[in-house]
Amino acid sequence: MNIYMRIVTLGVVLLIWGLVVAGCAGRRSEPIRKEYFKPANASIANGEKMYMAYCQKCHPGGEAGLGPSINANPAPQFIKRFQMRHGLGVMPGFKRDEISKEDLRDISRYSKAWKHY
Amino acid sequence: MRRLFLSLALPAALFSVLTGCYRMRPSNGGGETKSISQERRVNPADVLLPPGYTIEAVARDFTFPSAVVFDAQNRLHVLESGYSYGEVWTEPKLIRIDNNGTRTVVATGTRNGPWSGVTYHDGNFYVAEGGTLEGGKILRIAPNGTITPMVDKLPTMGDHHTNGPVVRDGYVYFGLGTATNSGVVGTDNYEYGWLKREPRFHDIPCQDVVLSGLNFDTPNVLQDSSTRASTGAFSPYNTTSYPGQIIKGSLPCSGAIMRIAVTGGKLELVAWGIRNPFGMAFSNDGRLYVTENNYDVRGSRPVWGSGDVLWEIKEGMWYGWPDFSAGRPIRDEEEFKPPGKDPLKPLLRQYPNEPPKPAAILGVHSSSNGFDFSRSAAFGFEGEAFVAQFGDMAPKVGKVMAPVGYKIVRVDVQNGIIKDFVVNKGKRNGPASWLNSGGLERPVAARFDASGNTLYVVDFGVMRMSEKGPEPKPNSGVIWKITRK
Repeated sequence: MNIYMRIVTLGVVLLIWGLVVAGCAGRRSEPIRKEYFKPANASIANGEKMYMAYCQKCHPGGEAGLGPSINANPAPQFIKRFQMRHGLGVMPGFKRDEISKEDLRDISRYSKAWKHY
Repeated sequence: MRRLFLSLALPAALFSVLTGCYRMRPSNGGGETKSISQERRVNPADVLLPPGYTIEAVARDFTFPSAVVFDAQNRLHVLESGYSYGEVWTEPKLIRIDNNGTRTVVATGTRNGPWSGVTYHDGNFYVAEGGTLEGGKILRIAPNGTITPMVDKLPTMGDHHTNGPVVRDGYVYFGLGTATNSGVVGTDNYEYGWLKREPRFHDIPCQDVVLSGLNFDTPNVLQDSSTRASTGAFSPYNTTSYPGQIIKGSLPCSGAIMRIAVTGGKLELVAWGIRNPFGMAFSNDGRLYVTENNYDVRGSRPVWGSGDVLWEIKEGMWYGWPDFSAGRPIRDEEEFKPPGKDPLKPLLRQYPNEPPKPAAILGVHSSSNGFDFSRSAAFGFEGEAFVAQFGDMAPKVGKVMAPVGYKIVRVDVQNGIIKDFVVNKGKRNGPASWLNSGGLERPVAARFDASGNTLYVVDFGVMRMSEKGPEPKPNSGVIWKITRK
């Protein structure tokens, strides 16, 4: 196995580990952080509202619930946006007439801001 | 090119595979613990709040407490339900707690719980009696303990019971839950226990409805399980329906908000099409809100991914049960189809109105229950709703990947944003018995005292979910008190 394949293998193992722990970690909330969350801009504020309308019920506060944790999910935002639009596994996809392109990007920005708050 | 493929496609494929294995994963609800034999530990240090707030346990060892209320002297009263899922009956009680901790039983009910909610108005207490065995009632209880039923024989001997009440402008408002999960009596209702007692019981629409004529085939649990039963919507078990069949509406009915004048009189319909309208409160500007416990993944017509809802109630409106969830149609929707099952089909041919948009959508299976609005600048978050989340009853209601609920959330009803307010300490969310801590177990109601400066949380106590169903633990209920420093 050459060095490149080793790096890829290590990356894959780390990704699998990250996704496995995604179901059981990543608590984010004001009582936990001891700090109030304030959206930094209008896009994140809109993303928070849209997240509450479409995502919160299965991923409350970005944590695991009916679905896995988003907070602990290391996948890049473009993959998460792809999953929101097209669905994967049991997660349904949301078409453009449900979540517009702008709203999808705002949800992504909110999710990132929430993950790092 | 190969590197690009590996760096983009591989993570995407793995993500897809790992999130696609939902069906292979076991359920992981907060009640899915081993048998709990030890006494419940209570330790406020195991509970977390936002900066500036503090919590203490003010009373404990209640059996299935469901609500608190304050009289004209702002004295704390605790309602013990007298019934818990798992078919456990005890005596329902209204108990006064004096400042020195002395407990006085004000009134005791009969074996017809749960006493699911209480309010105080003009010198009397008003209690919603669930009605598992005799039908639901609204009771007026005088301070000397005299109980007078205002309404009785409400059709709540099924899955869900009589809830509320709240008093406003001379009316007592209350909620009636539906008999079934999604409109069809099935084997799940036999497992709940009531179908054996009430084999002809079923949902009753508040207005005439036209059925699509779907029937659902199950083993005939009331006779010989080797035979089959076929059951239609809004019909008794093993009674079929046909396309275009009209089911006459009547009052009282299932899945509805109703009211009666404080002085008595005829029942009036306020709103309907709400699966289990459990919590009920008026906002500071006088609008009525209710929490709806939404569909489970059980029975003849299981519905998946259905979040609990906080609704603003508008008079005369139909809110969508049994064909909508949180204002969205469940018909042919991937979002609500249980994994591995066929898409859902509608039970009704036409709808009274387009269901409105929810004030907020809460966690699937969170069992979002009793709530109250902050009306005090001293406490903070004026106008926001503080909602107690009892927590999932997985796997009986459906599978979850992690415990859902078991906390208090605050909801801004202007924009639907939900934030945790009281949670248990730990790397993961869950009830104290699951975390092995002394924190919250199953919050069932949140209510401010008369001053509005103190929030009380009713913690129902330990309820484990076993293969047989719920196993509630008597004498494990706690009343928590939250103040701002």
